[in-house]
Formats: sequence, structure tokens, C-alpha cells
Amino acid sequence: MSGAILEVRDLRVSFDHPLGLVRAVDGVSFSLAPGERLGLAGESGCGKSTMALAILRMIGPPGHIDGGSVWLDGTELSALDDEAMRRLRLAGIALVPQGSMNSLNPVMRIGRQIEDALADHNVSLPRSALDARIADLLSTVGLRPVVARMYPHELSGGMKQRACIAIAICLRPRVIIADEPTSALDVVVQRQVMETLARVQRDLGAAVILVGHDMGLMAQFVDRLGIMYAGRLVEVAPVGRMVTVPRHPYTRALISSLPSLDHKGGLQGIPGLAPLLRDLPSGCAFHPRCTLACDRCRSEAPALRPMGENAVVACHLAETVA
Amino acid sequence: MTVLLRAEHASKTYGPLTALRDVSLTIDLVRPSITAVVGESGSGKTTLARILLGLEAPTTGRVLYHDTDLRTLSGEARMTFRRDVQAIFQDPYGVYNPFYRVDHVLTTPVRKFRLARSAAEARTLIEAALRAVGLRPEEILGRFPHQLSGGQRQRIMVARALLLRPKLIVADEPVSMVDASLRATILGSLRSLHEELGISIVYITHDLATAYQISHNILVMYRAGVVEAGAVEGIVTRPEHPYTRLLISSIPRVSTERNWAGEAEAVAARSAPASGCSFMNRCPVAMAECAEAVPPLFRTAAERAVACYRYRTSPELAAADLGTVLVGMYEAGSRAAE
Repeated sequence: MSGAILEVRDLRVSFDHPLGLVRAVDGVSFSLAPGERLGLAGESGCGKSTMALAILRMIGPPGHIDGGSVWLDGTELSALDDEAMRRLRLAGIALVPQGSMNSLNPVMRIGRQIEDALADHNVSLPRSALDARIADLLSTVGLRPVVARMYPHELSGGMKQRACIAIAICLRPRVIIADEPTSALDVVVQRQVMETLARVQRDLGAAVILVGHDMGLMAQFVDRLGIMYAGRLVEVAPVGRMVTVPRHPYTRALISSLPSLDHKGGLQGIPGLAPLLRDLPSGCAFHPRCTLACDRCRSEAPALRPMGENAVVACHLAETVA
Repeated sequence: MTVLLRAEHASKTYGPLTALRDVSLTIDLVRPSITAVVGESGSGKTTLARILLGLEAPTTGRVLYHDTDLRTLSGEARMTFRRDVQAIFQDPYGVYNPFYRVDHVLTTPVRKFRLARSAAEARTLIEAALRAVGLRPEEILGRFPHQLSGGQRQRIMVARALLLRPKLIVADEPVSMVDASLRATILGSLRSLHEELGISIVYITHDLATAYQISHNILVMYRAGVVEAGAVEGIVTRPEHPYTRLLISSIPRVSTERNWAGEAEAVAARSAPASGCSFMNRCPVAMAECAEAVPPLFRTAAERAVACYRYRTSPELAAADLGTVLVGMYEAGSRAAE
């Protein structure tokens, strides 16, 4: 797609394991428009976090990126040398990692951690300008300037998460990848942090990839949603259509596993367990847990195919699901 | 009415910090129920759980087990209490010793409470408990904790509690560390334990949606005190306390209508007020009198109490009588007839 700020093509990541190769990301492609909010959802172990890290080339041994390419605004990231890639992280694509509140350095004041990030990207400013910039960043995410002089343990979970967002946006990145940024927070704080992220993103004009498993959060926040299962995208669609007319049986199961406040008795888990990535079932990886599975599903893996406007799905039976 | 466990005016302070303020709660023996305790981090819900379990003694007030203060329970009565009242904790990783096979957490209670006369009988009991929570014993027994998923480990904890045929399970955030699909499965097994075996459950959580799905009653806590309590349907569909309203409106819904409208940032948590209602300085409808004293509970309906001065025209409910707005699953009569 032209005009995309980020384009991921056929990305493959695997991990060496004594019992065999684990394919965590298996040929994922998608693109992200400037300012767009894309969600990536799926159960634990579906490869969504691995993909977020792979976009930034942050996969370490025993993992390796086996193929595919990632393009940021026309630059192919796999062609960059390590130093250029290091400079591009944070400045071009910023990551708010999973459990990022615990990624803050516990023995360094918040202001100093922001300074470090800036210094690491060759931003040198006189002291007063630096302090002003830090205060400005903190106020952008709804924190008082005094937070700059505080240590992480002096902050609540929500404040730590805001501090992480402040670090992520300090170089005005064009893409922000947020990996379950609110999973440990209660709903009120979660809502506040997500509203802050939304506002900051709008002001920067950055695109966001939100990684998570909460379909409610996705419905509230993203424009377009991709569902991952066993390392592959199985459905991508505008979020409104996805939550009203899910086409993939897995998407439907994910939605119905969410407890509803509107009617009682809807508490249903997805039967079975997510498959072992080193020993995937034949055909469609979801077929052992799918209530609709037929012979074709057991033998032939479905490819992603267009299904309606701006949407794709990988299911032989997508027409019958809706 | 026969009372299994009753907290009376339980308060807990740690130095200058009040973790729990005057909470009374009754768990009935003949009318088992599922009661959810909902609130944000620091609201006192885990402190309440620990006090009910006898892991902490209240600073003032007391907890009675069959009319005996937990502090004075001894010998055999203490063993019966330990058997009747079971705990399930938040972290399905931290409760296991990584050097022991998971069998250890299942065989220990069998041995300690002499549930079986032979190894074969113990094995049968353990396998039945695992099946009851939807696990296949052959996939579980003999494994080490790291070989199982978080959801499997948490279900083993439910199975462990089940082995003892308890009267009450206190589950403190049992599903906050597993993803949405497993959440539904684990809560489903708790719910069926209640329905099939008549086990009461105190479900501590910050997730109002799951609380609504599995509970009969709900206690909403905010900064150490109960702000709203009663039958779950009424509270979720027509919340009265401003904090409960904020909580419900903040739940991200799976719908195309976005219910997050952007006003929540404006009511970000500030430090607690020095006196009066603890929610006052986040409250959109606070009045002058809210600053004067902590609001008492007002009984706004048969199955509802709210600690908010906006409902002062309703009769006041003594904190000790909080249990009267809670409902049991069975009426005393129908249960007795079984």
C-alpha cells in the first residue's frame, strides 16, 4: 500500500528449542497508515509480542528473524546497520514494552531516565532547556514537573506507565508500539492512561500499534484490528466491523470470552489450549478448537483473502460464520 | 441462619495508614453465595481477604468462625477452620515451589488432613479434583510447575481447594494474570463448584465485569471502606455511588459505541482528603457536607446500601448490618428441604 508509514512484509521469526524449531511469527504482513491505530490481539503465546519486537529487530538468541522485511516511511529496516537501527529505535519507532512500568530503572530518577534517552540519541541541550523539555514531556502525559525528581517506587502504577509513555514520545516518533500498556492497571486508571496515549498520539500525528488480548480495550481504542493465532494473522478488519460481524471463528470466540455487563451467563472460555508452536496441527491451526471445522480445515491451511471492504480473513468457512 | 464466618467491625491500620475501615461481612453456612469484593489497588480488598483467612488479625473488630474469634481458635477447631476456609491467590507462579512436582501441592493437604487411607485412594481423590476443574490428570501429575501454563497452574489451585470440600473459598484476584479466554474457563469452574457443591466464594477482583458474571452480591470498596454493596444486578445496571459509576463507565466494552468519552483524565486520582468522604476530591457531585464526616451507609433498596450523602433521605444502615443487603443463592427454606 502506498502512503503507509510502516509496512511489514512476510515477517518470520523462530526460536531454537531442544525439541524443534518454534515458529513464533509465521509470514505476517500488514501496513499502517500515518496516524492510524492498529490493534494486534490474540491469546498468550500467539506471537503478538514477538512480532512487536521483531519490527524493531529486538529478537535475541535463541530467537532469530528468518525472513521478511519491515519498511518505515520507505526505509527498509533490515538493510540498516546496527548503529543506524539503534538510532531509529525511539526516534522513528518507539516501544512501550509489556510490563514497562517494571522496565524503569529503580535507582534512577524519572527525569534522569528521560535525559538518558535523549542523550543516547545525541540530543544535547543546556541544563535549563533540558529541564524545560522534560517538564514539558511530563505535562504532556499528565504528570507534574516534580515527578522528574522522583524514583519509580514513589509513583503509582498509572504514573509509571505515563512516565514510560513520556520516554517513548521524547523524540516524536512516527510509530508507537504499545505492548499491553495497561494490563496490570485497574479499569479507571487503564482508561486514563489510554486516553493520555490517544491524546499524545493525536498531537504527534504518530501511528500506534496496540498489542493486547482485551477485545474491549481494542474496541475502544483502535481503528483497525488484526487477530493473531499461532503466529499468523487470521483476520484484519476495521474494528467496528470486527466486533459486530467477526468473520473468523477464532475472532468470534475471543469476543465471546469477554465477560459482558449487558447480560449474564455469557462467560465462555475458548475450549482447548493454544497449540504448541513447534508442533502445529495440520491444515488450519485453529481447527482442533473450532466448532465449525470440516475435512478441508484439517488438511488445507487457509490463506488470507479479502472479505469485505479493507478486510481480510483466513478461514475456509468465513462466509458461513457471520 | 447459621453463620460460618463473620467479620465484625473489622479495621486494619498499618502505622498511619488505614487499610480497612469498619467492614462487617457474614458468610452464611446454609445459604451459600458468591460475593465479589471490587475496588482499585489499595482499596483494602486484599486486606479484607487476608483478615477473613486469618492470615492477618484486624487491628480493631474481630472475625468469628462458628462464633469463635479466629485469634482464640486452637487445636482441632483451627484445623477444621483451615479445612473449611480455603484460599486461592493471584499469582499462579508464586505459590509453587519450583523444585517440587505439582503433585506436591495436592498430596500435602491429603496427608495433612488425612483425607485418604492409602496411596491409591489419595490418587483417586486427586484425579477426581483435577477432572472437576477441567484438567486431565495424566497431563498434569508428575510435571513441574514450569512445564504447565499459568491457566493450568491456577486450575490446580482450584482443584487443591476442592480436595478439602471447603465451605468457603476466598479467591484473591484468581484470574488477573491469565488472558481473557482462560479467565472465563477458571471462573466457570469456580461457579460450578458453588452450584454443585454449595461452596461459598468471596471473589476479590478489580474486574467488575467478571464479578457481575459469577456473583450474587458485590461489595465496592474505595480507600479502605465499603462505598456500595448489595445484589449484583442492581449495582451493575443502576450504580448509585459516584465511584461505582466511574468504575462501570470505565470498563472497555466490545461495541462500536465508544463509551470512553475523555472525561476520566480530569478525575485522575489525587491524594485522599484529610477528612470526610474519601472519594470527595474525585467526585463530580461532591457537596459541602462531604468534607465533614465519612458518610454512613444508606439503605436505598432492600438489597442495596450506599455510602454517599446524596442518598441521605434513605434510612441509615449500621455498618454491622451490611450483611442484610446481601442475598444468598438459596432461601433458607428451600435449602433445608433438599
